[in-house]
Amino acid sequence: MEGSSKSTFGSRFGFICAAIGMAVGTGNIWRFPRVTAANGGGAFLIALTIAIFVWAIPLLIAEMVIAKKTRLGTVGAIRDFMGKKFTWIGGWLGAAALGIMFYYSVVSGWTLRYFVYALQGAFSNAGTPEATEVIWEGFLSSPGQTIFFHFLAMLIGGFIIYKGVAGGIEKATKVMIPTLFVLITATMLRGITLPGATDGLVFLFTPNLGDLANPTVWLEAFTQAAWSTGAGWALLMTYAVYTKEKEDLGVNCFVIGFGDVLIGIIAAMAILPTVYALSETVELAEAALASGNNGLIFVYLTALFGNMPGGTFIAAIFFLALAIAATSSLLSMIEVGVLNLQDAGFSRNKATIWICIVGFLAGVPSAYSINFLDNQDWVWGVALLISGLLISIVMMKYGVQKILDEEINHENADMKIGAWWGWCIRAFPVMFVGVFGWWVWQSIQWYPDDWWNPMEIFSPGTMFAQWAILIIVLLLLNNRLAELIRPGRMKEGKMSDEVPFEKMAKE
Amino acid sequence: MEPMTIFFMILVLGFYGGGFVYFLVKAMSSKHNLE
Repeated sequence: MEGSSKSTFGSRFGFICAAIGMAVGTGNIWRFPRVTAANGGGAFLIALTIAIFVWAIPLLIAEMVIAKKTRLGTVGAIRDFMGKKFTWIGGWLGAAALGIMFYYSVVSGWTLRYFVYALQGAFSNAGTPEATEVIWEGFLSSPGQTIFFHFLAMLIGGFIIYKGVAGGIEKATKVMIPTLFVLITATMLRGITLPGATDGLVFLFTPNLGDLANPTVWLEAFTQAAWSTGAGWALLMTYAVYTKEKEDLGVNCFVIGFGDVLIGIIAAMAILPTVYALSETVELAEAALASGNNGLIFVYLTALFGNMPGGTFIAAIFFLALAIAATSSLLSMIEVGVLNLQDAGFSRNKATIWICIVGFLAGVPSAYSINFLDNQDWVWGVALLISGLLISIVMMKYGVQKILDEEINHENADMKIGAWWGWCIRAFPVMFVGVFGWWVWQSIQWYPDDWWNPMEIFSPGTMFAQWAILIIVLLLLNNRLAELIRPGRMKEGKMSDEVPFEKMAKE
Repeated sequence: MEPMTIFFMILVLGFYGGGFVYFLVKAMSSKHNLE
């Protein structure tokens, strides 16, 4: 590993910016407003708040515990935390994150392309969804473009990771995250000052408490909490390896949770008023919100930007914010692979180059085919719920109360975390069954006759088939993986005084 | 907008905006940050 100065975040603000960058991604900007609108607006926000506290923040804290205790990437961390025979779980956590990275880089490329389109004023003459759909379809059907921008996204992400933790991730996110807040706030201010914007705000904030009786609202809220914050994805687990010895856990995770939802709310206040103010009819506004992530942003919103006074400028600001959100999340996914390779003996530079080359090549099918991308988004998106379950099991196996007493509420903690954390971790399998079961049940309804078919894009069959292949491979490689990773600071569940973190960092 | 909507908007923005600033300030002012 590199010198300690490069192997830890230089400041707590740097770590917080990197962690918020990890959590805030495209999902905050294009999924949050759409899902909030579809699930009762204000009622959804209430359910989401509960989900953030009982699902997301407890898992984020758990990830930091594992990272700080082991100071290893996912594979080594789980090997040391649970024992050698469970190394495959660490492999699953890393592989699921990389499975996301392969197509997320393609999506990041889309945001870069649309930022360039906005700078070129491409939307100024495209004031209808039909016109912007031509732009969107034209882009998607040009593999040369989608692959080039996927390459560009991976190149930017790889360059930042290559520069190291303090010199790359920290330096970049300390600029990117405050900029993201400013840009998305500027877009929001433009949206809420449009004539007729209050319809969107009413839709977003009116608390129809009756909607809380609808189970779908709760299931969507828990799903959004999981996917939006990145809780259980092992991304924070990776970044937290680079924190200082006395770093606090609780306050950091609350900053991440609150910051993530805050960005989502600001994005919703930008998008919903814009959609309602500029759509010619309520039906058109509803069609925009029902058109999925890509349809809402790349077709309807771009058309509305075309009609908006100053729309070219606002579109550039909006897509720059989207590109920053996507790139800052992509960094953490690349880092998951890089840290695991470093643990296996690679230098940081070599590990970065390898991960970026593999990431680019594995992302090409998603850049080439939107159906392939959708399939991967479905398979690995739901897989992340399983990752969350596995992390909760890791906590329970080690001892929830022991972790709470010794690792979370340590003498340098800035805030004591109460017993509620343990209750949430112990209750996690129940929450998981509800949310995961709902997604599986839903997907069976989508394909009542051939739900088992692994060739269908969103079928349960394709999920279970791809997960099964991964698990079989990981189980076969379990012992090899365990031996490949260098020794950590824990031995058989106990801290090893022989290998303090600072010494490891200098190796 | 109805008063209930305005109240809820202030409540949500106050909770998340205020919460974010509170925890960020708490993190930044920790005495262990430079250790």
